[in-house]
Amino acid sequence: MSRVINGLKENGTPYFFLLPCIVILGALLSVPLYKVVEYSLYDNVIVERNPTFVGLQNYSNLLTDSAFWSASVNTLIFTLGSVIGHIIVGTGLALLVNAEIHPRAQTVFRSLLILPWIFTAVVVALNWQLLLNPFGVINYGLTEIGLIDTPIDWLGDPAFAMWALLLISTWRGYPFIMVSFLSGLQSIPKELYEAAEIDGAGFFAKFWHVTVPQLKPVIYGVALLDLIWTFQLFPLVWLTTGGGPGRSTEVLSTMTFRQGFVDFEFSQAATTAVSILIISAAFTILYLRNEKQKI
Amino acid sequence: MKFPSVMKSVMAGAMLCAGSASAQTEIEWLQWFAAENVDGFYESLVEEFEASHPDITVKLVTQPFGKVRESIVTDSAIGLGSDVLGLNMPWTSEFLEIGLLEPLDDYLARDDNSFATADLVQAPIGKIDGQVWMVPLNAFPFVMHVNMDLVEQAGFTAPPTTWEEFSEQATAIAALGDGISGFGIPLSSQPPANGPILTFLPLLYANGGRIMDGTTPNFDNPKVVETLQYIADLNDAGALAPGAASRTGGVDLEEFIAGRTGFLISPGVHAQAIEGRNADLNYVAAAVPNNGTKAYRVHGWELGISSGSDKKDEAWTFINFLLSKDVNARVAAASNALPGNLSALDIVGEGAGDVMQSQIAILANDEPVEELRQAPNAVGSWSLMTEEMQAMLRGDQTPQEAATKVQSRWLDLID
Repeated sequence: MSRVINGLKENGTPYFFLLPCIVILGALLSVPLYKVVEYSLYDNVIVERNPTFVGLQNYSNLLTDSAFWSASVNTLIFTLGSVIGHIIVGTGLALLVNAEIHPRAQTVFRSLLILPWIFTAVVVALNWQLLLNPFGVINYGLTEIGLIDTPIDWLGDPAFAMWALLLISTWRGYPFIMVSFLSGLQSIPKELYEAAEIDGAGFFAKFWHVTVPQLKPVIYGVALLDLIWTFQLFPLVWLTTGGGPGRSTEVLSTMTFRQGFVDFEFSQAATTAVSILIISAAFTILYLRNEKQKI
Repeated sequence: MKFPSVMKSVMAGAMLCAGSASAQTEIEWLQWFAAENVDGFYESLVEEFEASHPDITVKLVTQPFGKVRESIVTDSAIGLGSDVLGLNMPWTSEFLEIGLLEPLDDYLARDDNSFATADLVQAPIGKIDGQVWMVPLNAFPFVMHVNMDLVEQAGFTAPPTTWEEFSEQATAIAALGDGISGFGIPLSSQPPANGPILTFLPLLYANGGRIMDGTTPNFDNPKVVETLQYIADLNDAGALAPGAASRTGGVDLEEFIAGRTGFLISPGVHAQAIEGRNADLNYVAAAVPNNGTKAYRVHGWELGISSGSDKKDEAWTFINFLLSKDVNARVAAASNALPGNLSALDIVGEGAGDVMQSQIAILANDEPVEELRQAPNAVGSWSLMTEEMQAMLRGDQTPQEAATKVQSRWLDLID
């Protein structure tokens, strides 16, 4: 016993400093995580005074529920579409704001282009609802230039709602990619571009053979991180379309909320949340492995 | 051991203070009313109550309407529920199933109440499972708000009173063009996705229809189909504002306030926002046009006591205060609503404007209808109505198919 105490006295200091962090993480992460998994094993909780243990029945129900598969497909489309949109727009704008122009103009553009990231989801949702309204600016503009004959209810038509949502998500999320890629671009040695120019490389050749390979580690890490965030994104979808029209933009996170706080099916909601957790955890492991390889 | 006299005095004083502090009971009142009302009105009401009841303090907990329902459920589950609850009638069935509400029969039977039960608006106090679960703080009938300038520009002199006139006027107003619509129907899926209960139910009740058979959903009946068909016909005639499937209740109200919609069916309480934000609008409130039945959807802000509260007597004392004639009249006037205690109606009506007089006339002449109090999974059900009505207006299904699908999905939901 005394050996243990002596050992702790000698080597325990680092663990002592870690203790507050471990306690906070334990309280804020482990306990809710455990409770969600536990809830998913009962018939219903919170609204049920005497819940009955049902094992994996909720998981079986979830896997045979067509709404779950429909929301999963929507989640996949929304996540991949958003991440691809973020990368394309973010990369393009990072290249533009990295261009050698007047420093003051560069600062202005960089500041303006980062704005979408600063707005809360509520502000973004409200603004885009107004823009995409049948009487909104976007319909007006498209009608004026002759691209459409009659105004389109972008957020209310199942044929367009997911596309509109992807547009909004791309607008909201590109600044993170832009900032990350910008720092990556600034770390690429100029000599590489000079050498490529001597070899006769044009803009696209330099982009494919110098910029992309040099940015690869950043692209992979940032894309994975974006994938994890977007996969479980809730407020933007809920506040913009509420998963509608019908369930055409219902994603797993909005389905979880609907099951929990609209239908009061908290155990079923916990089960859906666990499915999100499992997929997010897989992405997180990929991300951590990628980060470890960098070290 | 002898205490010095100073010490004795200090201890005696401390005990006195402790005694008076422990005699004061704090109750918590969770509601959304203060968020939607005149600034500071409810805070001053609480102060007034505390001044006349020094043994009770009231902690006013204000949340947005959309948050209160989930807070009542989750707070109660972890034992942190409030004592007095602001309630919405459609939540009743769900809350009773969970056992969140305290029956109020014994409290209503007390001799020292400041009001007579018979004077209260009757819809909220109708018994479920043989007991009363809530009392009305105020009431507002659903009305049709009318932009008289647009009605006159379309060539009419008075608001429509029948479905036929309504259809004719809404279509004529939409034909004015320039972004003007006859009538808006908010069918966005965005929460609370309650468009159908705002616009469809008032029209259904004015058609003599219902969606419930007792406590069982009965959505696929001929009156419902007839009302859905009426809405679909309005849409086909171009009378409805475009973009119904993305139009929220808030946008619907804003469009009316901005003068871009001829008619708005919503609670009479919206008169406050309309008059307050666009004083230039030539606006009146009228009964929802009927198809043979003079009935209105009655709505209001209700009060209940949490079954988990250990201060139920104090909670009732506060509710009793809120329902007393003078206080209730002020509560009603502050939100431009009718009082929950109808004995205060004369005070509210005295010197009231045309909109309030219209509501009083509707209350006096038409039949009140409230079905959602007994509807199982009411909140989930109107999401289903929203989705099926969206599909109907897109032309993906007929009114009959929409009604059948709502019925079948609603039954699945409560299964």
